[in-house]
This record gives sequence, structure tokens and C-alpha cells, in this order.
Amino acid sequence: MSDVFAALANPTRRELLRLLLERGEQPVQQLADHFDMRRPSLSEHLRVLKDAGLVTEQPIGRQRFYALCPEPLREVADWLGPYERFWRARLAGLREVLDGLPDE
Amino acid sequence: MSEPATIEVDQFLAHPPAKVWRALTDSDLLARWLMPNDFRPVPGHSFTFRTTPRPGQGFDGVVHCEVLELDEPRRLRWAWRGGRLDTVVTWTLVPEGRGTRLFLEHAGFDPDDPVQRRTFTLLDGGWRSHVWPRLTQALADLG
Repeated sequence: MSDVFAALANPTRRELLRLLLERGEQPVQQLADHFDMRRPSLSEHLRVLKDAGLVTEQPIGRQRFYALCPEPLREVADWLGPYERFWRARLAGLREVLDGLPDE
Repeated sequence: MSEPATIEVDQFLAHPPAKVWRALTDSDLLARWLMPNDFRPVPGHSFTFRTTPRPGQGFDGVVHCEVLELDEPRRLRWAWRGGRLDTVVTWTLVPEGRGTRLFLEHAGFDPDDPVQRRTFTLLDGGWRSHVWPRLTQALADLG
């Protein structure tokens, strides 16, 4: 749990997940091209994501390909934002109350 | 100590701000969509919301609140304390067309408290509203 949470807490790593989500599996250099960052720093972020189980790494030829692995997000999704859900549900209730209330 | 985190939610309501304000500041109406309370629209007034206790989270079911700001019909702020939470809820009403856009900000969650960490997300709003739903969709597609 804490590994996944720590992995998500960083904006660069969230951006990496977004890129892998939108563009699918890709080599590390293609990911690096997207960032204004030295490749060792990027590799470090990818390692954190890999340790958290959020990406998989596969060598193909001379390149390493990374792919998104959303499975560990399941446990985050299970408890993510109960308060936000609370407020969204209450706001839906507010809408109903207003709809049933005569105008002044 | 990490930066306190905030929940932000907004919703369009097809009713004028004066009417939305009424639903936010009338104790009986508040009880109908939020929780039973003894709210009065008076700055500095202390009041409570009462709901189901959650002993596992150290919450006895009572939210201790205080009216911090009352700017009819624009802005309403409550201190919101209960269990381990010491937070502030701000309602902002903005006229939009014939209706009102209602903004809710619930601020002051402590990311270092593991219990609080389970009650909110550290993720920034844009990522949460745009990327996260698609990630969870990808997750759902896994079965």
C-alpha cells in the first residue's frame, strides 16, 4: 500500500503513468524524450513505479520497454477519497432538496 | 510535515444563489441533505452535525463546527472538527446562467496522519478528475 501511494505522490511518476496509459508500451528513450530530465533520474522514477508493481519492464533487443500495470491501483481505489465520495453524494442530495423546494 | 491537502468538488445547480444559500443555511434544510444539526446563520456560532460513529477511525459521530464566515449569498465557511480531523469547509456560490455553480473546498487534511491518509487523496485535482478515472477504467477492464 505505502509503496503504491508513494509512487503516486510524485507528479513525474503520475505523468509517466499517464503516458503509458495513453500511448501504451514504449521504450525508455521514448519516455525520456517527453521529459526535461536526465535519463538516470527518469530511470529512478521508473524503478519506483516498477517496485510498486505499477509498471512492467521487458527487454526487447537492446531496448527496455515499459508497460502500465494498473493492478496495484485496486487497493488504492478501494479507499481513495471516501470524503470526496461523501461530498459528491451529499451534493446530489442537495440538488434533490433544491428541486423539491418552491422558489421564493 | 507535508502540506495539508484539500478536497475540491463543484456542481452546477439549476437554482438561483439565494435559494442555494437557503439550503446551506437553514438548519432543517441542511438536515435533509447533509446531517442533523443545530446550525444557526450567525458568525462565531458553534454547532454540531451528528452522524454514525466510526470507532475504528476514532470518530464518535459528532462533527464540531463553527461558523467562520457568512457572506450572503456568496461564501460560507465552517470549521469542521471530528475524530482526528481539524479542517475547514468553504462553500462558494457563483451565479452561472440562471443557476448557481456551487464550489466546495474541504481543506486541512494532514497527509502525515495514516488514518487521515485513508480519508482523502494526495493526488492533484486535474490528475484525479482526468487520468484517475481512466486508470480505474483500465483496472475494471482487467476484471
